[in-house]
Amino acid sequence: MLLIECPWCGPRAETEFSYGGEAGIVRPADPDALSDAEWADYLFFRANPRGAHRELWNHAAGCRRWFGVERDTVTYGIERSFVLNAADAGPDSDPDPASGSASGDVVQAVGSPGLEGRAGARTRQGE
Amino acid sequence: MPGDNVNMPETSERRPRLETLVGTAESVDDARVEIQVLPDRGFLNLRLDPRHDDGIAAAARVLGQALPLAANTFTTGVHRVYWCGPDEWLIDADVERTASLRSELAGALTDCHAAINDVSSGHAAFGIVGNDARIVLAKGCTLDLDPRAFGAGQCARTNLARATVLLAIADDPPGCKIIVARSFADYLHRWLALAARQRDASS
Repeated sequence: MLLIECPWCGPRAETEFSYGGEAGIVRPADPDALSDAEWADYLFFRANPRGAHRELWNHAAGCRRWFGVERDTVTYGIERSFVLNAADAGPDSDPDPASGSASGDVVQAVGSPGLEGRAGARTRQGE
Repeated sequence: MPGDNVNMPETSERRPRLETLVGTAESVDDARVEIQVLPDRGFLNLRLDPRHDDGIAAAARVLGQALPLAANTFTTGVHRVYWCGPDEWLIDADVERTASLRSELAGALTDCHAAINDVSSGHAAFGIVGNDARIVLAKGCTLDLDPRAFGAGQCARTNLARATVLLAIADDPPGCKIIVARSFADYLHRWLALAARQRDASS
């Protein structure tokens, strides 16, 4: 089971989250101007890289916020979690007023170490 | 049709009593663990931008206690205010006070981008107390329930036996409060009673 770092709640078990696919897919501003191929590319085609992958997760059973995770698709190791900026936001997510980024341009990284200061419930290691 | 609901009673008056939902489930009540049904609780959901200092202060004035701004904590005063998300709180108040508290908060937050809703009908509350309470919870929860990691004053929305719950640890009296969707109340109460009875068999 993955131990996923929610930027707000801290590390929690994978079962509390739902997956949102690749991060950074932005809906075209003017869909009518797109060719069928371009529209299909937006709808269906994803990078599916081997290695580092930026993806969306929703803390469905916790604070219910969307955030981003950088995960290695080979090792499943999670490099970091981050609060979304405007470009990362999925189609259903509102810009979060509490992301700590008024302009929406700053990606606030939450590394795995250095979490001692956060008041919050933790997940048992090794679940 | 619009307008037809003007004569509907207040939400909190329509809710069936919690005992009628969980009445058939037996709770375990021995020296080491006790499962309590906590009736007559009212719940308000508050959405408010935490960067809005005036709004945070106005809400705190009405509530008579601070809104917890640190993740996964709650404040205790006349009411309990749980942190549910970076811009979301759950206020646990006496059911008789809920409707008036809602309108007072709505009045105090008219200038803010905020939402305050009475969600009493949708929630039920249980308490689990005793030395074995954490052992029972650990049977269905992935949180680290060690008192050093999850102690008094901390709360967490998480899964308990696959149900989405809010757990809150208090030390006066010591124990854990469990707030769950009302539709899960009967199921979760049965699960708690079963887990309490079987707690020695597992670990």
